[in-house]
Amino acid sequence: MEMIFNVVVFPGILYVLLWTVGLFWFFRKFMAALHKRVGPSFNGPAGSYQTLFDLSKLLTKESITPDGVNPYLFSLMPILAAIIAILPTAVIPWTANTTVVVSEYSLLGLVVLVGIEPFLLFLTGFGSNNKYSFLGGIRVLTQMISMETSFFLAALSPALLFGTLSLTSIVEQSSWLTFLILLPGFLLYFVALLGLLDQPPFNIPDAEQEIVYGFYTEYSGTNYFLLKLAEFAEFMAVFAGAATLFLGGYRGVFFDGFSFLFAKMIIIAMFMMTIRASTPRITMKQMLNFSWSYLVPLSLLNVAWIMFAKIFLLGAIS
Amino acid sequence: MRKIKQLLENFNTLYIEEYKTTWVKTKLSTADDLLMVAKALKEHGLRTIATVSPTDFLEENVIEMNYFFEDLMTNRNCWLKCDVPRELDECEIESLTPLFKGANWHEREAYSMFGVRFLNHPDLRPIIVSQDFYDKTPFRKDFDWDAHDKNTVKNMQKIVDSFKAEEAEADKGIDAESSETVLNWGPTHPASGPIRLKVHCDGEDVIGIDPDIGFVWRALEHLVTKKDFVGAIVAVERLCFMDNVNSMTAYAQAVEEIANVEITEFAKWMRVLLGEVSRISSHAMGMGGFYNALGLHTVAMWNMDVREFFLDFLESYSGARIATAAVEPGGVRYGLQQNMLDELQLALDKFDATKDSVKDIFINNPTMKMRASKQGFISNLDVQDYSLCGVVARASGVKIDVRIDEPYAAYAEIKMDYVTQKDGSAKDRLINLFEELEQSVDIIKQAKRHIEEKIASGEFDPTKDQMVKVPKKLPRGEAISRVEWSRGEVLMHLVTEEKGTSPYRLKMKAPSFNHTMMLDKLLAGQTLSDIPLVFGSLYICQGDLDR
Repeated sequence: MEMIFNVVVFPGILYVLLWTVGLFWFFRKFMAALHKRVGPSFNGPAGSYQTLFDLSKLLTKESITPDGVNPYLFSLMPILAAIIAILPTAVIPWTANTTVVVSEYSLLGLVVLVGIEPFLLFLTGFGSNNKYSFLGGIRVLTQMISMETSFFLAALSPALLFGTLSLTSIVEQSSWLTFLILLPGFLLYFVALLGLLDQPPFNIPDAEQEIVYGFYTEYSGTNYFLLKLAEFAEFMAVFAGAATLFLGGYRGVFFDGFSFLFAKMIIIAMFMMTIRASTPRITMKQMLNFSWSYLVPLSLLNVAWIMFAKIFLLGAIS
Repeated sequence: MRKIKQLLENFNTLYIEEYKTTWVKTKLSTADDLLMVAKALKEHGLRTIATVSPTDFLEENVIEMNYFFEDLMTNRNCWLKCDVPRELDECEIESLTPLFKGANWHEREAYSMFGVRFLNHPDLRPIIVSQDFYDKTPFRKDFDWDAHDKNTVKNMQKIVDSFKAEEAEADKGIDAESSETVLNWGPTHPASGPIRLKVHCDGEDVIGIDPDIGFVWRALEHLVTKKDFVGAIVAVERLCFMDNVNSMTAYAQAVEEIANVEITEFAKWMRVLLGEVSRISSHAMGMGGFYNALGLHTVAMWNMDVREFFLDFLESYSGARIATAAVEPGGVRYGLQQNMLDELQLALDKFDATKDSVKDIFINNPTMKMRASKQGFISNLDVQDYSLCGVVARASGVKIDVRIDEPYAAYAEIKMDYVTQKDGSAKDRLINLFEELEQSVDIIKQAKRHIEEKIASGEFDPTKDQMVKVPKKLPRGEAISRVEWSRGEVLMHLVTEEKGTSPYRLKMKAPSFNHTMMLDKLLAGQTLSDIPLVFGSLYICQGDLDR
């Protein structure tokens, strides 16, 4: 019974859908404030139904499959991408006793599931039979290879510090001191996350001014909706991962609970949006240079710092 | 000036005369001398050719070619004319493109519109016109537009067929095993606007770019000849909506010169005031366009927020926010009331209140500098060779500004200086745009103060002074008129007939045409990511590109 509730309602499909729609709406409203935009304000109180209408429009639109592509591969990829993006929710400890899959290696599950997502997006671009989609796919792959090294190294720093791969015990062991120790790791994780999620200034794979919409170019209707769902579900997985790994997850100031985790995720989302509203895109070469000359070496240094802190600040040697 | 005259005296000319303050006007007895004269002028420092404008005289059975040579450094200009026969087989003249790179597209345009063939032109393909106009001469006086329009379906089919043929040809000659391909960057690309760049690229590296323009060709230069002198302003202002006032000013000045009418002081000051508001409206969008090309839409939105206040002023003055039709031959269309000036003050306050944050966040933006300061370099010589102007030229450190070089309206009494940068990179062009915004606001403040003082002292009557009468029929004549449009120098060449009620020929030289010519030179060897950046920084508007 509990399992069914978990899969269907929380933290399963309904929750993911709600989160997707809610985050989409929140991104729009937050961005509108930063952009000094005023509309749209006609549908519902303060235009709040607009997102729902957009969603229903997307779902009812015709899904066009271009000539010369394998239609099964073309339509399978968005479904796979959405499923893979939703799966990490299973391993994240949403509250003290809501973790669907309790495992000693849940951190590993998280990073692997997040890590293979770009590869699926590459395949969507590869299977679209479009020059722009193909360029977008190549860019996704390039960016994935450059960013995932530091993403993994940053994500592993709490595991090293606490000596466990279980997300639940990472949350349980976290404290203000470990938060400070993990702060550099958090910053690296955040930067790598921007690259992994194709967010500005690393929105190179779907740079619409350069290659139209990258791997999305040929997708429309339901398939496009699924890809967007995958993107926003991945936002959730990565934000929740960041909050769990570095910010103490569901643990709060006076009491523990899901609301604290949620607030932490929203704060990360707001940071991301603010960067999005003030930073232009960089080029592929600059991204590669940044990643391999700065981000990866810094991630390695961070691992050294974690070991140092573990030995001398937490007194791990006995 | 004297030296240019001396130099021209060595050749067979019908007349040599001074025109306005900075021009020497001459007509060659024979078109065969053209190349030699051009060479001599170039050696003399007139390195720039603004435009090539043929005029079709049906009765005399000649096509008169007009060449406008400019020396951007010392501000001496030469207007050179010569006749070529009108018969299509004999209608040919030496090309100046080998000498003046900037003449390239202008000669192609003259070829497409008038059928003038340019000998030794490196790349004489039709430009601007669609495929159904190939080998026709739409701007000649005897071209039958009605007959052409009757075959609309056939014409469309011709365009479709040629696109398909081109698509089939595109990848031929490219090694199928290599990663080379041809991308169609436009006309429905998110950042292109109605222009198509055929990008020959190898993976992410650009090998060459061939711009295909003409997707918004409205034949404005033909449209004006169908309207009366006042009605023509609605065609002229559609050069580009963003800055419509200054293009109307250029046209109105040309008409006034032929009609020999002097407009009132008040109207001159109003032209400055409206022109600068219009310039702000355009520059604000230009800055937005630059950042949109980098994937950041905040600047466009913030600037739009400020720009709305300036459009409020235009609306209170003319009733329209964008296409104002506010300037016409004889002055400005409406009088001025205090509430309009109050609207303007609101806009100025809004600009002052927000400019610091725009400057801090977006002009000094480190990511933007990292990308844009190494891209799209245009040197001082490029500016002269390709006849670049406006923001693009000034960002490369070339001091040109028609408002100062050849003051019109009331600009002679305005305190202003050239706004220039040093390097000529894409970043410099953005910074120059912003500094010119500040300059425009400063000019508006000066003009507003002046107008208010003169109204208070009773010298201006804002309800009556705006217009003097311009006759409906004009004598035979011709004039050129230059203004500093928001994108650069606009040169209008107006020809009228005896007792003409509409322009006989109006040539509009618009800056984006020359700027687009630069794309291949700037982008060959760069990457795909740099195309939108450089394209955005050149501040191109397809309206005045195609006309």
